[in-house]
Amino acid sequence: MLRWVVRRLTSAGLVMVIGIAVLVALVHSLPGDPLTAIVGDRALDPASRRVMEHDLGIGRPLPVVITAYFQNALHGDLGTSLAERRPVTTILAERLGPTLLLGGLTLLVDFTLGLLLGVWSALHPRSRLARLLDTLTLATYTVPGFVIGLVLIWWFAVHWHWFPPAGIADPLLPIDAGITTVAIDRLRHLALPLATMVLATIAVPIRQQRSAVLASMSRPWVTAARARGVSARRTTWHHIWRPALTPVISLLGLWLPMLVSGAVFVETVFAYPGIGALLANATSQRDIPVVIGAGVVLVVMVQVGSLVADILYRIVDPIQREMA
Amino acid sequence: MNPVRTVHSAVVTALLVVPNLVAQSPAGTLVMPIRQEATAPIPYFGPSTTGNADVTDQLFLRLAALGPTARTNGDNAMVPELASRWSRVNTTTVDFTLDPRAHWHDGTPVTARDVVFAWNVIHTPGIGVDLGAFALIKTVTVTGSGQLRVTYTEPSSEQVYVAGFLLQPLPAHLLERMPANAIAGSDFARSPVGNGPFRFERRVPGRSLELRADPTFFLGTPGLKRLVFLYVPSTDAQVNLLLAGQIDVMSDVPATALDRIAKQGSFHFVTAPGNPVTYILFNAKVPGDPTRAHPILSDSLTRRALALSVDRAAIARQAFGPGVQTPLAPRSQAWFWLGGAMDPGNADTSRARALFRSAGWQDHDGDGILDRDGTPLELGIIYPVQSSVFSAIAVQLQQTWRTMGVQLDLEPIDGPVWLERRRAGRFDIDIANANQDPSPSSLAQSWSCASAAQVGSSNVGHWCDPEFDRLRHLAPTLADPASGFRAALARMAAWQPAIVAAAPVNRIAVHQRFEHVIVRPSKAWTSLWQWHVKADAMLPRDR
Repeated sequence: MLRWVVRRLTSAGLVMVIGIAVLVALVHSLPGDPLTAIVGDRALDPASRRVMEHDLGIGRPLPVVITAYFQNALHGDLGTSLAERRPVTTILAERLGPTLLLGGLTLLVDFTLGLLLGVWSALHPRSRLARLLDTLTLATYTVPGFVIGLVLIWWFAVHWHWFPPAGIADPLLPIDAGITTVAIDRLRHLALPLATMVLATIAVPIRQQRSAVLASMSRPWVTAARARGVSARRTTWHHIWRPALTPVISLLGLWLPMLVSGAVFVETVFAYPGIGALLANATSQRDIPVVIGAGVVLVVMVQVGSLVADILYRIVDPIQREMA
Repeated sequence: MNPVRTVHSAVVTALLVVPNLVAQSPAGTLVMPIRQEATAPIPYFGPSTTGNADVTDQLFLRLAALGPTARTNGDNAMVPELASRWSRVNTTTVDFTLDPRAHWHDGTPVTARDVVFAWNVIHTPGIGVDLGAFALIKTVTVTGSGQLRVTYTEPSSEQVYVAGFLLQPLPAHLLERMPANAIAGSDFARSPVGNGPFRFERRVPGRSLELRADPTFFLGTPGLKRLVFLYVPSTDAQVNLLLAGQIDVMSDVPATALDRIAKQGSFHFVTAPGNPVTYILFNAKVPGDPTRAHPILSDSLTRRALALSVDRAAIARQAFGPGVQTPLAPRSQAWFWLGGAMDPGNADTSRARALFRSAGWQDHDGDGILDRDGTPLELGIIYPVQSSVFSAIAVQLQQTWRTMGVQLDLEPIDGPVWLERRRAGRFDIDIANANQDPSPSSLAQSWSCASAAQVGSSNVGHWCDPEFDRLRHLAPTLADPASGFRAALARMAAWQPAIVAAAPVNRIAVHQRFEHVIVRPSKAWTSLWQWHVKADAMLPRDR
């Protein structure tokens, strides 16, 4: 197992290095004026342009740029934002928290409530409630996320004033507000973006889990367990559900990067200050250091997601464990 | 018209009664959305965004502000701000006297040295300031701690405007030991020390920025206790926040949201002359080659025929709603003081067809597209794909011109790529929006022969008409500069370097609990400090 872990970590590191190098090269090759973030559509004489490009290191050969990026990254320096003139690491740190909170809660709800509903739906395939659940989740899945967001905003924020329509915190909250006040404020601001994210995504884990459980129910070891007189509860959770987790774990591995990137539309609709909105804004401004920094976070998240999925496979699947 | 309670053109009426308000202490909070984050709200150095500009206007004053007429011509057109008075020495020299009460937020007096420091700093290469606007100024020198002498390159009625409005002092005592190129990334840019009615309190990156009233502000105590700028890039999200009562004002309200906001009942609309103008620009040169004339668009008859085919009034109304204007030349509503009649913007397709024929365009091969000497009348148009307004305009142009026998190929492209292509002149036709400076002299930056010849200038269409240059340059020296500028604009309109699609009005939704609401034409929010919250209408956040 230890050898497997070392091998897996090495390959993950290698993939990250290659991924980041490709990312840096691609972003630096993007068409468009690299001074957009600073100058916008203002006129700029060639002399000033040359000075600015030199100061910002624009126009250097790609191998030099990539080497310098890794050298600086090893010292924790991901560059300075062109638009904000602040360290990219600081900006990412500010935005990562809100994104992880929203994405993490979404995954938590999707992979707890979603799995439970999936299992229940598989165990009661002919019930009216299961059919209703099937229809509802399919409907929310097919409707674009931003439409769900707009509908929720209209009813719950604009019409009933139950929740704020945008933002992550009340800007008028005193700096010395108590922790309870802050927590309640955060939850109120999270309610609609989280509901939107969950409604837009939960159909997938429900359906995935239902199919896996249905497939698992016809396996010989389930029949054997029943023949041995194993209780229905133990049969369901030990013999049916556990093997049915494998495809869901694959899904979790794939979705972990969604923690960072998947909420772009929600962050836009709800003016939520996360990495997705930062990446979209930085790309439209050609704030290259920020685009690369956010991309690096994504590359790392993809690798972490993949690693977590592989480890979970080995925990739930004895065959995988023996192969390690 | 919907039941919106419109306080029409509050600007002028309110400015006429600019009371030196407010003896009582500040009270009330105003929450305002900004579309771009105010990352460095200081003059000259921050990225050129409206977010930075809106906050900077609250933190930093000018030597002189625009007066009620919004005119930029004449020594008496401007009103005192940091400068308490100015006097003319001769036709090319003006002395400014700073108000001795003016001070930076750290208590240091604003001095003439701060103005000279700013003048020197903006000339540092790599700062990115467009020095074309300052071309009239020759020297800026200190003649005493509160005395400043500005000499000019030539006589002009805009001398006071250029030095008083465009040249903003910077705190020399805080910045002079810092390399100019380091200011944009300094602590000063993140936590500015200004001299305006509000002082910087805090910024939460990605979310909000808060200013607090400066009770020692030398022009009077601000009526509002604090201003909170919320970073909300999406217009839809701004409207939702307004409807939910979480923000107090919203500028440039989209036409599609007017009814909803009116029905909500807590807001009224204030209209002010806006300074944007949206235009469809013809490239006078071959795309990417400024040495050769464009084979189709260098012909003024063809340009006029293209312009006359377009129902600009319909396009403008659809894109910007009521109150929009359709001038023949790039002239925003903020230049209302120029006077003169406004073109209704209707199409004249029969005249357009006649002009096409006069220019030699006919459908010789019967394919529905006009041609001349074997060349089809086929053009491309570029615009940023992110702009739904530009996209709608491009599609309408394509449909309209198709009926006239003109093939228009749409090229929606990513914003930065669009900027790069238009800067390089690689387009036939471009849709653009300009936020015009208060003075029509600023047309020189985008529409003069000098700017056409200058690499990197805003004159990306390379339009050059020496007669227009002469008229524009002459206008500020005339007894009636407004008529001079009108003549220059009429000349431009006749030569049609662009089709002006719209000059929209700035429609601002304001919560009804505010009074003394003053909105200025070119700088909408510079009088925010004079706003008040009605004592009997305060919300919890106002206390």
